[in-house]
Amino acid sequence: MDVYEGRGRLDVIAEEVNASDDEGHQAWRSRPLVDIDGVENRARVQPGSSFQRFSVGTDESLHFDPCMSEEDEESADGGVFADSEGLVDGKRALTESDPPDVFCADCQTPTHAFQKSFGPHKSHRVILMSAAMQETKKNVSKTKGKLEEKITQMENFASNLEEIFITVEDNFGRQEQNLEQHYNDVLQTLSQRYEESASALENEKKVKLESLYSQLICCGKMMDTTKELIEVAQKLYRTENKCSFLRRVMAIMKRIEEFTKEEPELKLATSLEFETLTADFSDIKHMMDSINIVPAPSAPVMNPQIPNSASLTSLRVCWSLFSDDTVEYYELYSRPISEDMSVESGLEASMVKVKETHYTVTELVPNAQYEFWVTATNTTGISPSSEKAVYMTVPAPPIIKPQECTSCPDAALIRWDSGNTNPVDSYTVELAEIGPEVGESSITESIVAIPTCECLIQLQPGTRYLVYVRAVNIGGPSERSQPFTVVTIGTFFHLLEDTAHPCLSISEDGFTMFYTDDELPLSEMAFTDESFARCVAVLGDLIPIRSKHYWEVEVDPNTEYRIGVAYEDTQRNAYLGGNNASWCMRHVLTPSRHKYEFLHNGWTPDIRITRHPLRIGVALDYDHGKLSFFNADLEQHLYTFHCQFLHFVHPCFALDNPGALTLVNGTEAPNYTKFT
Amino acid sequence: MALSQVSSNKCSGGYQKVFEHDSSELKCKMKFAIFLPPKAETSKCPVLYWLSGLTCTEQNFITKAGSQQAASEHGLIIVAPDTSPRGCNVEGEEESWDFGTGAGFYVNATQDPWKTNYRMYSYITEELPRLVNSNFPTDPERMSVSGHSMGGHGALICALKNPGKYKSVSAFAPICNPMQCAWGQKAFSGYLGEDKSTWEAYDATVLAASYSGPELDILIDQGRDDQFLSASQLLPDNLIAACSEKKIPVVFRLQQGYDHSYYFIFSFINEHIKHHAKYLNA
Repeated sequence: MDVYEGRGRLDVIAEEVNASDDEGHQAWRSRPLVDIDGVENRARVQPGSSFQRFSVGTDESLHFDPCMSEEDEESADGGVFADSEGLVDGKRALTESDPPDVFCADCQTPTHAFQKSFGPHKSHRVILMSAAMQETKKNVSKTKGKLEEKITQMENFASNLEEIFITVEDNFGRQEQNLEQHYNDVLQTLSQRYEESASALENEKKVKLESLYSQLICCGKMMDTTKELIEVAQKLYRTENKCSFLRRVMAIMKRIEEFTKEEPELKLATSLEFETLTADFSDIKHMMDSINIVPAPSAPVMNPQIPNSASLTSLRVCWSLFSDDTVEYYELYSRPISEDMSVESGLEASMVKVKETHYTVTELVPNAQYEFWVTATNTTGISPSSEKAVYMTVPAPPIIKPQECTSCPDAALIRWDSGNTNPVDSYTVELAEIGPEVGESSITESIVAIPTCECLIQLQPGTRYLVYVRAVNIGGPSERSQPFTVVTIGTFFHLLEDTAHPCLSISEDGFTMFYTDDELPLSEMAFTDESFARCVAVLGDLIPIRSKHYWEVEVDPNTEYRIGVAYEDTQRNAYLGGNNASWCMRHVLTPSRHKYEFLHNGWTPDIRITRHPLRIGVALDYDHGKLSFFNADLEQHLYTFHCQFLHFVHPCFALDNPGALTLVNGTEAPNYTKFT
Repeated sequence: MALSQVSSNKCSGGYQKVFEHDSSELKCKMKFAIFLPPKAETSKCPVLYWLSGLTCTEQNFITKAGSQQAASEHGLIIVAPDTSPRGCNVEGEEESWDFGTGAGFYVNATQDPWKTNYRMYSYITEELPRLVNSNFPTDPERMSVSGHSMGGHGALICALKNPGKYKSVSAFAPICNPMQCAWGQKAFSGYLGEDKSTWEAYDATVLAASYSGPELDILIDQGRDDQFLSASQLLPDNLIAACSEKKIPVVFRLQQGYDHSYYFIFSFINEHIKHHAKYLNA
């Protein structure tokens, strides 16, 4: 935005208004048109004056008065024009001394109408004062509009500048700190050097002095010796006794000769000069050079994994700068952590160059841990590596096993496969009630921190639910598993195929069982610890809840069967109903009639039934200790065992002759089953 | 018809009462016992008619069977009439305990001197229900019948002869095939004459073989140590065979150690009441 440009335009307006005003000054007159005057004054760069506001020393924030409102301007307009002499419309000027009544648009001058035809404005466009006023007013508003725009721009610019000032301050602060630190370092190094040099010098002095001193001592010694000799010689010389003189003189002379042969060491042991140590200032120089250089960054800091930021195959890795370093780019290293410790060091790290302080790593393995570390690089160099952080991808969703799920009106037991090869921390089960309208379902309940792959959930009777399972590890929860539908009507369970006698085969859908008389030799039958060995029987997987249960069995009139319940640990080589761990209704076909027994512990009451049940209803009531049998087609009660069940029981089925039984699940217990 | 209360005792939250009235069928004063459960104070209740056995009056059942508790719980009215007309001074009615007084056999006699008074079948199936329905808070659509021994026979024939009238039927040690046992033969020949074809109409086994109507659900309890069972007076096998043939649903229970007495009835009356409640309260 060009401040000067606006200024130019404003010039024009001023001239329009003040046509007859011949003050002719360049400065702005304070007009109540808009408060541009004030603004312009402040924003205009005047030499040496109003930088007051922008000094570094102040913290004053910049403030501009808002524009005046329209009304004020209108009245101001009127005021402006009212100021200049204006005629009331309609009244014509008659002489020059009258106020002008028309306006020449071309010359922008008020004039008199009677002058039009012959005056200087002959060929100009001359309009009525009022019209002129309108025109001019319009122009003024237009310009005013532009000015207002300018003001907004200026205000924005001003606030931008504010921010820039703050940034500059910040940057300055940083640079200042940097500089201080650097120079401090340099000074420190220099003073260190000085001290080193000084002490080195001192040492040298000591050494020299010592050697000189020793030299001195030597000299002194020599002098003493020499003096001694001289004295001796002199003494001898003065000796009167010629004999002793001659006797001793030779020895003395020899000594003196020898002595004089010795060259006195007149050279100085050491030089008087000191070595000029060429101080090694190269590193100081380097430091000085690097003052203006941006320092290499310090090691960044890895952020811990943000919850719910991981997915099955990707991780959002984040880190932050340790300080206000300038960084050009980061290099993120990653390496998978394997369970096998010996392999770990052998795995290669992959690296990726990143400009931001976060990166989403993709194509990872679910439910796996990865190590991440990062370095920052700028023009100066590379930072040290950050500490390593461990992130984990979320697990794959579990897979619900429908064949192992059971339910009853009050609850459901859901079992699933983890869906992950490595262990996860826990599982979460989510329930959604399916409302009467299609598609209406929302999660109504979540059960968290389930440690194993099964969960017993309390439910409302007569409702449809969708059950989802998620696996959870430190990376977060997995996606939902495929839903499993539970309908809390009646009791629903599957047969425990592991317990089936080898001769008992089960249909594809898992609800019909057959005793096929294949005449397999005993040796070829695959018995296990769980399977029945004598009675051709199988157990059902009833939900372990002490409430009321009801199921039905469809039978053939010619099949000999046993239907009832048994404890899980009922002996596998016993017949159902023959021990005290099982209760059952038994149908025996004799040549003359049908026999029905209600067996427990080998005992049965004597009961005759005239209509042979084709669909048997079994009602189990843990709380009242009752097991009842009904002819479901006739709604006829057949018999009720009264027994306190000490443990949970399993439905049991057996075929005593070749035939078939079909289990019918999920039927609501009929009303008549209450009357037992 | 005027009822006069003979006695009233609060029992199991309800009232065990005995009434007397003039019977138009039997042409004499008759008593009957009626148990009104607590529910009867506020709403209409279904009715179970209990027919007692040989030598009984309206008192035996209400004092010995212990039925009031279960009746109270299930909200059933139990009506227990007498077993024959009383005080009619019919000649020979006091001679035996198994014929005449206290041994009406729930038939309408056709032979003299019995035919005037001994019309227990009509009394039980028509007069008494009308009387009870007009004097007590009953639901006339819901009635069931049960009985012991001769009363068991009575219950069975009432149900078999009136398809749909009774919602359910049960019996304790009933005389299932009177035509084939000493009791039945004695009674029928006395009340109905020598023409055995007229006996068939009052023989449960025969009636079962030709029954057609809404499905029944018959519960029969029989004491295994019942002397009359071993004396071939009861003959349940015949009935079972007939019902099996005709596919009439029967559950027949032979109860180990039990005899013919009211101790036997007491032991299983709750289950019978539940059996009836299942249909009466449905």
